[in-house]
Amino acid sequence: MSMRRVVPTLFVAAVALLSVVLLCPPGFAQQPVAVPDTKQVLGLEGVKHNATGTLSIEKGTLQFKAGKKKADLPVTSINDVITGNDSQRAIGGFIGTLTMFGPYGSGRFLSLFRTKIDTLTIQYHDASGGLHGAIFTMPVGKAEDVKKELLAEGAKTTIPIEPAATGQAPASPKKEQKP
Amino acid sequence: MKRAGHCYVFAFLVAASLFAGSARSAQDKKPQKISASAIQILLFQSDEVKLPAEFQMALYEHVIEELQKAGKFEHVYRDGDHAAANTKDLITLRSNVTGFKQGSERARQVTTVAGATSITIHCQFVDKSGKVQLERDITGKVRFFGGNLRATYDFAKKVAKEVQESF
Repeated sequence: MSMRRVVPTLFVAAVALLSVVLLCPPGFAQQPVAVPDTKQVLGLEGVKHNATGTLSIEKGTLQFKAGKKKADLPVTSINDVITGNDSQRAIGGFIGTLTMFGPYGSGRFLSLFRTKIDTLTIQYHDASGGLHGAIFTMPVGKAEDVKKELLAEGAKTTIPIEPAATGQAPASPKKEQKP
Repeated sequence: MKRAGHCYVFAFLVAASLFAGSARSAQDKKPQKISASAIQILLFQSDEVKLPAEFQMALYEHVIEELQKAGKFEHVYRDGDHAAANTKDLITLRSNVTGFKQGSERARQVTTVAGATSITIHCQFVDKSGKVQLERDITGKVRFFGGNLRATYDFAKKVAKEVQESF
């Protein structure tokens, strides 16, 4: 009699556990991110400008390896991560369109690179507090993934990831206010 | 006829001596060089122009690199470096992007004359008491080949040249 009660309970528990595992967003998985064909335009010490290599994030460290040269950076020292799309979102929009008619074309988006690549800009501090900046270009669609991983590992950003990019629907502020 | 020739020669000599004198007085009036052993570069501001992060960082990093190459200062400090506070004769470079002209790399490649990109930045070299020692509007351009990144490099080169002349 007791076995008849226990078996369905165990079955329900197993199904629940399986569904949690399957529905868990991939961002929670601690798999190292590696992006080959990344160009370090400038900013990383010990690596030449425009060196092409692999950018990886593992165990709280951002690593860029180009041939024998490599640079390691603790992710917690990164205080801003901005993709090319972030810049366009921050500068574009209605206000940006209006200010485009300002003096010197002040609202127009000035892009540093051609648009068929992704860009990733990071700001980080060294041990004495000095600000550094590093710019990377990488295959299209990779910058958002790298940014997500960096934020998951403890980096900060001034431009949060768009809700659509995270794959989660944003919680409406009105709903939050309701008791 | 001979007298007229002498007059021309005399007039030429007078004009030449006047020109040489004015040039010498202009040299005498050259401003004294500013003395500083260290410089701190602050992150570029862009109040009027909306500047993408990558452009801002490229300007900042290129200027630091060019000033280090110039060798005019014992130390080139970055924004936020705590060690800069202990330097007595520190000069701080404050920069504000005031304008840009969007060019086109494709137009530059095709025509080599059209499509120039330029970026104008107001630079202030400020001493520790807050007094502006030097103020310049410096323009970085990319005219012929290369991406917009070259405009940031050109700007940094011009900043280094200005520093070489004034410090």
